This record gives sequence, C-alpha cells and structure tokens, in this order.
Amino acid sequence: MNTLSAKRFDMEDIFNSLNLGVCVVDADSKVLLWNNWIAKHSDIKETDALNRQFENVFSESVSPAFLTALKNTLTHRLPVVLSTALHRTPLPLYNGCEANQQQTRMYQSITITPIQSQLNESCCLIQITDSSTSIKREKMLRSHSEILKKEATTDSLTDICNRRFFDAHYEMAVAEAKRQKHPLSIFMVDIDFFKSYNDYYGHIAGDNAIKQVASALKSQLSRATDIVARYGGEEFVLVMPHLPQKVAEQFAEKLRSAVFNLAMPHIKSRPFNQITISVGLCTGIPENDDNLLNKADAALYQAKLKGRNRCICLPLCETEEYLEQ
Amino acid sequence: MSNLSELHLDALAEIFSIGAGRAALSLSEIVGDEVHISVPSVQVINVEDINATTLSLNSGRFGAVSQYFSGPFNAEAVLLFTEEQALKIVSDMMGSQMSLEELAEFEHEAMCELGNIILNACLSAMADILHFTLESSLPNYRVASADEILHRLKENSNQPYVMVLHIDLAIEKRHTTGNLVFLLSSTSLTNLVIHINQFLGSIS
Amino acid sequence: MPVDSSIKKLLIVDDSKVSRMLIRTHILVQRPDWVIFEAVCGEDAIELADNERPDYCTMDINMPGISGTDAAERILSKYPLMKMVIFSANIQETHKNRARSFGSILVAKPVTEKSIALTLDYFTNSK
Repeated sequence: MNTLSAKRFDMEDIFNSLNLGVCVVDADSKVLLWNNWIAKHSDIKETDALNRQFENVFSESVSPAFLTALKNTLTHRLPVVLSTALHRTPLPLYNGCEANQQQTRMYQSITITPIQSQLNESCCLIQITDSSTSIKREKMLRSHSEILKKEATTDSLTDICNRRFFDAHYEMAVAEAKRQKHPLSIFMVDIDFFKSYNDYYGHIAGDNAIKQVASALKSQLSRATDIVARYGGEEFVLVMPHLPQKVAEQFAEKLRSAVFNLAMPHIKSRPFNQITISVGLCTGIPENDDNLLNKADAALYQAKLKGRNRCICLPLCETEEYLEQ
Repeated sequence: MSNLSELHLDALAEIFSIGAGRAALSLSEIVGDEVHISVPSVQVINVEDINATTLSLNSGRFGAVSQYFSGPFNAEAVLLFTEEQALKIVSDMMGSQMSLEELAEFEHEAMCELGNIILNACLSAMADILHFTLESSLPNYRVASADEILHRLKENSNQPYVMVLHIDLAIEKRHTTGNLVFLLSSTSLTNLVIHINQFLGSIS
Repeated sequence: MPVDSSIKKLLIVDDSKVSRMLIRTHILVQRPDWVIFEAVCGEDAIELADNERPDYCTMDINMPGISGTDAAERILSKYPLMKMVIFSANIQETHKNRARSFGSILVAKPVTEKSIALTLDYFTNSK
C-alpha cells in the first residue's frame, strides 16, 4: 500500500505550499480539497469551502464556461484545459488580497483532470495557475503597438485603412501574386459628382457621405485577405486576391449597388439624384512591370466618361488587342 | 487493409458529426457567436498510403494538437491546422485586433484549448454511442512542417492504421479546414470494429 | 370528436444510414404500427412529403444538398399540420430559434431512448 504517512512529508503540507491553486471536487462538484493558494486568492478559508458545491463557495459568480468544462470532465472523464487567452478570469480570484493593496481579478490558466478517490469515487482535480504576468507583458506590447499601428494605418474619418497602409499592402499583395502566380484584383472607386455634393450640402454632409460610402464598401468584404482603403478625397481602393475574372466583375457590381442602395439624396447628380459611385476594375496575374493600379485607374476614368454609376473592367494584358487593332 | 465496411464508416461519420456538433456548441459559448463544425468525410487508411495529399498538407507549417487516448482502443489523436489558419482561428476566438507576433504568444494555449474541445467532443461522442469509457492525456501543441508530421506518422510502426477526418470549422464568417488524425494499432482498430459491430447489432 | 385511430406515417430524413436505422428502430419499439419512409437528403424529403403526406417528420441538419433546416421550412410552409422534429448535436440558440420560427423543435443528437421519447411526446402531445 502506498500510504503517504510512511513517507517523510505530509501531503497536505505540500499542497499548501504549492504556488498554484489545487482543488478536488467529487461527482456532485462538492469541494474535497482546497489548498492555501486558493484560500489566499479567493479570501475563502478551507473550512468555509469544504463540502460545499464548488460554484456556491464563491460570493461572486463562476464563469459559465468553467462550469460547462467541470460538468464535461465529470460526465466524460476527459481532461479539459481553459486558456487565459479565451477566458481571462473564469474564477473570482484576486491578486493583492493583503490589506491596503488594490484588488485586481487574476488572469488564470486552468486544468481540470478526472481522478479517482481511494473509495473509487469519480472526482476532479482542478489546478489553477496565475497567468497575470504573461498577460501584462502582452497587454503592454499590445497597447503600445496597437495604438501606434492603428493610428499609423487607419483613416481617421472613415476608420478604414489609410493611403499609407494601402501603399505598403499593395506592394506586398502584388509581390505575393507574382510569386504564387495567382490573380489579384484592384478596384478603384470614386463618388460621382462629389464636388457638387460638397458645394451644395456642405462639408459636414460631405464627410458623412464619405463615411457612409466607406462603410458600405467595407461591409461587402468578408475574407481576411481583402482590404479597402481611402485612396484620397472621395476615392477608395480595394485589393482582393484569388478572384476569377467573372467573380471580380460581379463583385464590382455588388460594390456599385451597395452604394446605390444607400439611397442618399444628391440632387446635383443627374440623372440619378442620389449618391452613386463609379468603379474601375483591373484583375489578372501580374508579371514584370504590369501596373494593376494604373489600369484600374484608367478603367475608372472610362466609367466616368461612359456616364458614371457603372463598373468598367480592363484586362491586365492588352497587348493582343493592340496587335489586332 | 482495414476491414471496415460502408456501414462502419457511416456509423463513424455519424458519431463524429455528433462530436463536431457538441464541439461547436462549446465553442459558441466561449466566443459568443455562431460556430459551425462539420466532418465531411471519414477515411481509414494504411499508414503507408498516407501522403501529403491525403492530409492536404501541401505547404508551410502546421499547428498540431495531440492527445493520447486509452481504453478499449488506444489512439494518438492529432488535430492539424496550417499555422496561418491556427493563428486566424485564435484571433477570431479572441476577438481582438492583434498582430501575428502578439497572437503567437497565445497561440500555444488557445490552440491547446480549441484542440481539447474538438478532440474531447469527438471522443466522448464515440464513448457515449459505442458504450465504453476512454481516458486521455492533456493536450499538447506543437508547430511542425508537413515533412516532420508525415515522418512522425510513418516512423511509428506499431500503429499501422490512421483514421482521418476532415474538419470544417466556421467561426462567424470565416471558414477554416483542418484534419483530425487518429493513429491506431491493429488491435485497436479490431477492437473499434468490434464495438461498432455491437452497436450496429443492437439497432438492425 | 373523431378518435384518431388511423395508422400514422413518419418520414425520417438523414444522410446517415446508421442514423436512420437508429431512429427507425427506436420508434418502432414504441409505435410498432407506424409506417416509416426514409429520405437521404432534403430534396428527396420534399418529394416524399408531397407523395406520401406523412403526419410526422424527423430531420437531420447537415446533409449534402439543401440543409435540413431549409428543407424543413419548405415542407412546413406547405404542410403546416405536419409535426417536425429537427435532430442536431449542435443546439446553439440561433438554431433553436430558427427551428421555433417555422414551427418545429430541436432535439439533441445522439438518437437515444430519451431523445426519441421527447420526439414522440412532441409528435403526439403538442397541440
């Protein structure tokens, strides 16, 4: 028999000296073991925890995800992990429980494992570690770089990407498309008769129109690889890899109708009397010095010439057509 | 070759689709959004026949969550996503705008949890339906190249069978695909078939 | 009031043969006189609903072709008196609400005596 008394240490001393939370619950989730670490960070004494249901021991609520995990371990007898990344603070445990220190809820990583008691009962061992330090490091990193990066790459009016971000992204996207030999689509978008809109409705309304168009365009994107940026004034640009020509053309039409459906009055825009956009699209597999952006811009120019509120698509490679002419 | 019939595979597919449904439910509770997981196919193949195409391991590096299961049959279960997909899943689940480097700090822990949820859900569905109990190790996460993964699968000669499930995972609007691979010894496969036969016998 | 003694028809829709076998076996233990039809996808289910006019239907969600929820919605809009149970392991709130919205209920898979009891209760006791 493997009795602990035969050994040189008392198991309880070891549990109570551990620098992590250890708790055992039985099949009805009643607490059977509650070590010093949890007692300290929950401010609940062992005597007040023992033989009570785990979720009722605390005065604050325990996260539903933790309770589901505990239930799953008790039912299926499979171990479960709860990461800090996805749960942060599932249990009401605090750092700085000493008097005159500010209490902050502790970030936790938790493991729940099925164990069997010597009486053959199904129990669960809950281990909790403090992951505050790793979170703090991450938070610091994030707050610094996220704010900096966000300011540097976001257009302050529309909250979509700015020109600087677009320039860098475009270069990478073209290089990637060349290397992988996959198609890349560039959509240049311009609000029709925007100057007259500004003159007639005023700058505040103009800014608002730009915002609404930006968000209508953005709402059409669902893939992580796609971006929409404010190119300048009332001009926008979208970069989307991997679209077949047909799909790209359909998408351009979707952009146009998304803005059309905003139905924003613009009485200086004939014949539509509402805000519309023109879209220039160029799509293809870039090679050597192909310039998708210039082509998309030329397509946009044609869309304007042909009466606005429309999409024009130009092929990336026109050499053959030139030869035919 | 494996001695699994169409009906055996159909039973496994049903078991794993129930597991996938349970996993989706747990994940949706965590991310607070709709999660959809399906298992479009189940295959049992000889480890020698496995190659990069069977597992769609075409390029790059992979995130692999593994757990060892034991019971009436023993298996190493490995859930594979490309590293890029793994990072996207983690970022979707965390719902924050972080750079890839920052996400990488959480990748390990969050992927362990995601894998743990999917693996446990599949195995517990199997245990429930086929009426047995399984034990499991804690999940382990590592990032490896396709070659390393294939090498590891093949070097282990006492587990000549692999059961491969393709997994479709959609969180919010993003679709991701991965593979769940079970490495099985011949005895384990035989035992699994016995349990499926008992189950089928009870309903036909 | 006429006593309902006619033989009931049940349509089982599931792409998994094993799942159909399970449902059929469990149901026949409780209701040995029911006539059972099986469909392997939503399209077949819609056709069988037209041809056989079943009283009850059990519907899987994930199937090749149109989804079970879409098939269920179409069938129920045509035959609002049919009692439909949707079987799914994925019982997220959104799915529950969707099922409720077109007059059906969601019952959790796996198919067991318990889930079949819930199903039969809904078929025979709901108004």
